[in-house]
Amino acid sequence: MAIYRRGYQRYDGPRTSHAERLAVLARDAWRRATAQRLVAVLLAVSCIWPLLCLLFIYVANHAELWGGLDRNFASILAVDHQFILTFMKVQAVFSVILAALAGPGLVSPDLANQGLPLYFSRPVTRADYVAARTAALAGLLSLVTWVPGLVLFAVQASMAQPGWLAANWRLGAGLVAGFLLWILLVALAAVASSAWVRWRLIAGALVLGYFFVLSGIGAVVNAIFRVEWGDLINPLRASYGVWCALLGAPMPSGLTLPMSLGALALMGVLLALVVERRLRPVEVVS
Amino acid sequence: MTARFRLRQAWIIARLEVRRLFLSRRGLWVYGLAMLPAALFLIHGIDVQYRLGQSRRGGIVQPAVVEALQTGMTEQQVIEMAGKPQEDRQWTRRKWEERVEGGRKISEQRVAPARRMIYFDGSRRVLLFFEDGLLRDINKYQILNFPEDREVFAAIFQYYYLRLAVFFGCLGVFLNLFRGEMMDKTLHFWLLAPARRGVLLAGKFLAGWMAATAIFAGGALLAFAAMLWPHMGAEGQAYWQGPGPMHAFRYALAAAAGCAGYGSLFLAASLWVRNPIIPAAVLLVWEAARSFLPSLLQKLTVLYYLESLCPVPAPLDPEMPALLRLLLAPAEPLDPWLASAGIVLFSAVVLRAAVAGVRRLQINYSTD
Repeated sequence: MAIYRRGYQRYDGPRTSHAERLAVLARDAWRRATAQRLVAVLLAVSCIWPLLCLLFIYVANHAELWGGLDRNFASILAVDHQFILTFMKVQAVFSVILAALAGPGLVSPDLANQGLPLYFSRPVTRADYVAARTAALAGLLSLVTWVPGLVLFAVQASMAQPGWLAANWRLGAGLVAGFLLWILLVALAAVASSAWVRWRLIAGALVLGYFFVLSGIGAVVNAIFRVEWGDLINPLRASYGVWCALLGAPMPSGLTLPMSLGALALMGVLLALVVERRLRPVEVVS
Repeated sequence: MTARFRLRQAWIIARLEVRRLFLSRRGLWVYGLAMLPAALFLIHGIDVQYRLGQSRRGGIVQPAVVEALQTGMTEQQVIEMAGKPQEDRQWTRRKWEERVEGGRKISEQRVAPARRMIYFDGSRRVLLFFEDGLLRDINKYQILNFPEDREVFAAIFQYYYLRLAVFFGCLGVFLNLFRGEMMDKTLHFWLLAPARRGVLLAGKFLAGWMAATAIFAGGALLAFAAMLWPHMGAEGQAYWQGPGPMHAFRYALAAAAGCAGYGSLFLAASLWVRNPIIPAAVLLVWEAARSFLPSLLQKLTVLYYLESLCPVPAPLDPEMPALLRLLLAPAEPLDPWLASAGIVLFSAVVLRAAVAGVRRLQINYSTD
């Protein structure tokens, strides 16, 4: 065939399944996220608090260690919803730092090097791309959130009096559900930040700023206007409201479950809109 | 080359840089962080003035009369004592009541008249809630509360301004000085100039510090003024003629010192580490854990010096778990002048380390 008669032809050979294609993207994102040495260091550092909590559980379940101390000490050493909430709050901070470190490397390089058209010229949709990136990050964040949380819960259940598990199963279920919701928000924020700014460095700072500065702004609004709705612009506080409801703990003043869920849903929608707007399969070069 | 010549070079670099820092679109968000408390205090001030005006128009009751009101009084008694309320609302509510009849509990619903009257005694709004014609609840709240507003300002300054706004603002400003130019691929122009690397660093730090200080110390003073504005009656005047100016100066000084401390750290981090977000995150956690550290380690945090400069100690978080409260061990604050000297010394040591970093700096634009 003469060369001038060769035109574009659509590929019509066999294709891999959708799940397999998605898994390729997720595997690539996972490799990228875990390739950094600092991620491994941070994962190790984030084990410190769960280890301290493990020590706490051990001490709390061995009354002979603190038998001579004040009676009030027993109430402090209880493994209850307050203990789980404190554990969740600290690990949530670590998860934000981890997302700031690992998240921007997932999307920013593709944007900065105009690599998106290469992805989207294959049978991969934008939703697939975002889902794969989010899933890889969610997997990484799980290692510092619900996985150690579930280990602590299992250790407590094995050390406590018989019947503790039946009476407190809600703590374990609430911990996992609460952290899954949190991971979704953090991963979405990290993907949105890295889609918004092309530089990894700035995107990382944006993730930290999103969570910490918004929490500060929420507290400032509450303090100046003597209100409590400022908590709704604070992602950590809104999530805390949901965690309290899931664990059966008293709700923080001024927050209800629908309000907290609504605030988180709104944040999620806004972040998803950012991703939708910035991740385009075409690039206009000016 | 004399020291005077090098200082002049550093000043010229600072002058060129500072214009870029103030006007760059990339740095506009820093103004937002710095001015947010001022804007919110201003809105609060306008709101308070409006509510005060509304309340005054409705008439003022003597504070002694308000104090004499007690639960259990009838509506008529209250009106005789305090006069016509400025707001009066009546409604009915359905109530379930239980009574025992013949050994059986009987629940029945009835309609109860309810009423809310509002009075104003010159500074407080007094809400009186009646049910079945009897005063059930008295709710007084101060529309203008100067001591509370000052405490709120102290808490916001220490928890939001120093820990978050100045921290992230300096992260943005000082990272931009070298890393920003790396990303824009413009740093080689500076390195080609006939100036020592140390002089370049001094000029850039000076520019960053001047810009950050103008923005954050200015923002703190504006917020202080906005907090004070609705209270400029007798109470506010007395404060302003007493410790007020010194408090304002110390807040501005703390903001400037924060810019120097965090700025020097972020500048050094941007020269020593390829991804300065890691040291920033570590510093954020380190500074947040300050109150739990041993006294000696607390002196290695920037916040220790900054809090010593603040005129009013920040209140504790009321929701902190009991066990964490037990672990709290805040170190004794330093004398403000010692704290200022401490932060200058701290910044000088960090900048000395940064000079070593800038001397070994080599441009590799492709890595960023």
